[in-house]
Amino acid sequence: MALAQTKVTATQARLDAMSLPKIGWSSGARADAQTRVAAMGLPVRRDEYWKYTRPDELTSPNVKSAKASVQDNASIFGSLGCLSIVFEDGVFNAEKSDKLEGTDISLELLSEVNDLDIHWALSLYGALETKGQTPVDRPLAALNTAYAREGLLMHVKGTVAKPISLVYLQNSDNDDVMLHHVIKLDKGASATILESGPAGARCNIVMETEIEDGASLNHVRAQGRNHERRAATHLFARLNQESQFKSFTLTMNGALTRNEAFVEICGDDSVAHIAGASVGNGEFHHDDTVFIKHDALRGESRQVFKKVLRNGATGVFQGKILVKPGAQKTDGYQISQSLLLDDDSQFLAKPELEIYADDVVCSHGSTSGAIDEEAIFYLNTRGIPKLEATNLLTLAFLAEALSEVEDEDIAEVMERRLEDWLTRRL
Amino acid sequence: MLKIRNLKVSLEEEEKQILKGVDLTVEAGKVHAIMGPNGSGKSTLSYVLSGRDGYEVTDGSATLLDKDLLDMEPEERAASGLFLAFQYPVEIPGVGNMTFLRTAVNGQRKARGEEEMSAADFLKEVRAKAKILKIDADMLKRPVNVGFSGGEKKRNEILQMAMLEPKMCILDETDSGLDVDAMKLVAQGVNALRDEGRAFLVITHYQRLLDHIKPDVVHIMADGRIVKTGGPELALEVENNGYADILSEVM
Amino acid sequence: MSAIKDIDVKEGVDQETVDAVREVGGEYKYGWNTEIEMEYAPKGVNTDIVRLISDKNEEPEWMTEWRLAAFSRWENMQEPNWAMVSYPKIDFQDQYYYARPVSMIEKPKSIHDVDPKLLATYDKLGIPLKEQMILAGVEGAEDAPTTPRKVAVDAVFDSVSVGTTFKDELKKVGVIFCSISEAIREYPELVKKYLGSVVPVSDNYYATLNSAVFSDGSFVYIPPGVRCPMELSTYFRINAENTGQFERTLIIADKGSYVSYLEGCTAPKRDVAQLHAAVVEIVLEEDAEVKYSTVQNWFPGDEDGNGGIYNFVTKRADCRGDRSKVMWTQVETGSAVTWKYPSCILRGDDTQGEFYSIAIANNHQQADTGTKMVHLGKNTKSRIVSKGISAGVAQNTYRGLVSMHPKAKSSRNYTQCDSLLIGDKCGAHTVPYIEVKNNSSRVEHEATTSKVDDEQLFYCRQRGMDEEEAVALVVNGFCKDVLQALPMEFAMEAQQLVAISLEGSVG
Repeated sequence: MALAQTKVTATQARLDAMSLPKIGWSSGARADAQTRVAAMGLPVRRDEYWKYTRPDELTSPNVKSAKASVQDNASIFGSLGCLSIVFEDGVFNAEKSDKLEGTDISLELLSEVNDLDIHWALSLYGALETKGQTPVDRPLAALNTAYAREGLLMHVKGTVAKPISLVYLQNSDNDDVMLHHVIKLDKGASATILESGPAGARCNIVMETEIEDGASLNHVRAQGRNHERRAATHLFARLNQESQFKSFTLTMNGALTRNEAFVEICGDDSVAHIAGASVGNGEFHHDDTVFIKHDALRGESRQVFKKVLRNGATGVFQGKILVKPGAQKTDGYQISQSLLLDDDSQFLAKPELEIYADDVVCSHGSTSGAIDEEAIFYLNTRGIPKLEATNLLTLAFLAEALSEVEDEDIAEVMERRLEDWLTRRL
Repeated sequence: MLKIRNLKVSLEEEEKQILKGVDLTVEAGKVHAIMGPNGSGKSTLSYVLSGRDGYEVTDGSATLLDKDLLDMEPEERAASGLFLAFQYPVEIPGVGNMTFLRTAVNGQRKARGEEEMSAADFLKEVRAKAKILKIDADMLKRPVNVGFSGGEKKRNEILQMAMLEPKMCILDETDSGLDVDAMKLVAQGVNALRDEGRAFLVITHYQRLLDHIKPDVVHIMADGRIVKTGGPELALEVENNGYADILSEVM
Repeated sequence: MSAIKDIDVKEGVDQETVDAVREVGGEYKYGWNTEIEMEYAPKGVNTDIVRLISDKNEEPEWMTEWRLAAFSRWENMQEPNWAMVSYPKIDFQDQYYYARPVSMIEKPKSIHDVDPKLLATYDKLGIPLKEQMILAGVEGAEDAPTTPRKVAVDAVFDSVSVGTTFKDELKKVGVIFCSISEAIREYPELVKKYLGSVVPVSDNYYATLNSAVFSDGSFVYIPPGVRCPMELSTYFRINAENTGQFERTLIIADKGSYVSYLEGCTAPKRDVAQLHAAVVEIVLEEDAEVKYSTVQNWFPGDEDGNGGIYNFVTKRADCRGDRSKVMWTQVETGSAVTWKYPSCILRGDDTQGEFYSIAIANNHQQADTGTKMVHLGKNTKSRIVSKGISAGVAQNTYRGLVSMHPKAKSSRNYTQCDSLLIGDKCGAHTVPYIEVKNNSSRVEHEATTSKVDDEQLFYCRQRGMDEEEAVALVVNGFCKDVLQALPMEFAMEAQQLVAISLEGSVG
């Protein structure tokens, strides 16, 4: 279908305002991506996929400013003994980062790739994003492929115990940050990758992940606490045989967050879990848009999303399980729940199933409601004051999502941060 | 009645032979028992005879009243007079017990070219037979086996047997999960059905059921074969000494 | 205009037609495959055709204007494409928009003219009611009288209502039950007040077309405090070839009234697809209660996907009075393409909406159906139970909206959406939209997808049922919650239909 003229004009205006970076071998993929964006057009509110989230502030040429705070830059995963890689306003900071080296792992920067490289990431950069454009357009991801100047290229060849921690610091109030990471896990490899920090007044982050047979990747993300920041993120993951991908995102604050995940299970007996906990107060619009495609036998997928909303905050969940013909014995599960702490908050959800194979077990559930006053009362009678009781029940509500974080130390960090938020907000 | 010759069976999914040449003849009017340790192939035998998917017959034959059983669909075997009382009767939500029974009875009659049973006759008969098994009206109305206790499920199996009037009844571990009173009730139901034209094959791990349903012949099955055959005294021997003695003697 | 004037449409419909339809409609048998000579307006739709339809129905000027306004809106609208259905582009100018029986009914010349499969179908439907009730475990069924309860029927044959039964008896209690064309003439004030007040003229493409060209349909008015003494029913049949059926139903339940309304549909086999675009509007004043049940068995097309009815229907109930309650129950087994979302606008406080649905899609059928529950008033409640069954190469989609507006405090919704797949070439999809804008309301949505359980099938077969019988039994069990929501006569029929619809889906 032809694009509406207004969409074409707006998209062109945005593209004209940027220049296509020429960075080594990535140049070809960038030109292709630019063409994709022009063909798709940047999202507008009338697009079905943006029914519940206004894309304007993510697509506009001008960035709304967001005040950077020192507190927000404190690394959340600092205590875990990670290998830290720091990006400040989207630019790699060598001083604050650890050395980009380790056993069984190669770490490089996107900005430094050569021209004539026969690089492992060459076949992945923009390729998984392109696959993720069907059946639904994700123009912001294509935009990122075209214009992101920095990112991490991480190649895991064996078992890497030390988590790789990407830290996104924000110093400027007005920066528009784009980062594009490519991760590849060789057969049987395993790693943990962490992300934290606000990154910029507005950020657009893409992570493309190829997981080979028998490999396993854990991904845990704590999005920045800056109240005013706006973020669009995309995770693209392709799972080969008997591989595993587990991703968890904690979001607290932020004026606007759109987290998209596109996971393709192409190898038999693989497992993908995408989970998230978000808590928002006031001007907070949080959107989890997840698409899991089963195209292999005996795949298992879980989508677990919990949202706590108050004071006019909005939570959105769009989730889909697609089971392709022949993907027999698929086990797909999806749950999205929201806890509305007051009457101004809202929850908008579209949990979908699209199933073309018969020997499957797929289910989804979605609920929305207020805190259980009877439970509060019960706790009161046992001597627990109202505020604490509310905190307790809120944490209990989030527990199913938090339990998706396998590493106990990381889970504890997450929980502490949540508790902290609750005591400050409630 | 039932003739099994050199029956060899493997699992379809993996190359594993379960039955390694079973020979068995059950005459009309008789009660045969098959005992044996877990994993000896007892339940597989009952499934293969009733035509469940997932098994591959690699050799041998099984006939019921001289008709080739193995060639038939499960429902054809049922219409020919074969009945399996399941060890774990499946639950079918939403389907009333009565509807289920009536469909089964008439399905078999239809297959045999007989006239369907009228609703009134059917109701009369079900109620009479249910009463003997202490199955109340409420249980008849509930969906098939849904929310039934272990004992209720087994009694329901026997009620189905009574209604379908099969010629060859296979009872697969019917005593499992039953207390003494429930077992007596089930045995009573079975004994009421014993007659000249009907044969039973009682599969059990323990001897206790055989106190209530007295067998004419007892077989011991081990490792996919019938390794010993004798009278009721064989069951007592197992009861007193366990399987180990018998097995070491024959193997 | 001159072309139209040349057409001689006979006034009135002869008694034989009326009787035939009444007989069929009253007892819901499908054994009817009659060829009837029809009079048609020319193919296509334009302002002349709209005027012609209005003219044939002897409508007042305001009604003609209403239609023309709808038509001019429709001309500027786009056919929607968001549903998960695909079909060849409909040529809206290649349809007849008006057809009605001339006079004589021609019976099929011999039994050989009737498709043997169709005969077999009818045979199965001819099972005595009492027996079915007993089998389904209906309480006290053995003592039930053998004659069915009284049901008043309005039969709509292609474009016109050919007869309404029990009219006088209903009139005694003040219930108006007649064709909508009659209502426009006889009760213009009621029609003027309510027509288009639930489904606005410009609501959607098909509803707008319907507003312009609807030829007939049923009208019901239940006065305050009256409990309608019998079930009301419309029996729809598309008989003529290449004819679109556009009926319009308007039900007004005044304060404290109650009515149960049944709708049945059939169509003969044709290898060219036919269009059906109906609109049903229900208005509920304070404390009123309406039950609307549909058994939709339009011709689904043949095994290869030829022919069948395109069923694009807009149904909506407006619970505008406090404490009013509406319940939609549908069994959708027919049609090549179904696009249908019976909805509830829960405007009054303490109002309730319920939606129970069975949708079966076999062979090449495509169904995209569900409901909208729009909660506007306080303490409103809604419940959705949807059972979708896909077989063959069919696609079956549940699409629904539950919306809790900021003012709909302390409201509740519960949604249960289950899909069953038979065979690995079909699809089952769930597309729910959930919008919660206040925190005192609670929304719960659950959905599952699975296949028919092999263990259950084996158990049934060991007891002597053939595979098809076993599948039908298990599927009926799966649908139980919805079947129970139907009036008894309909439930029996629906149960049979479930079995028939799935024939050829296994083995």
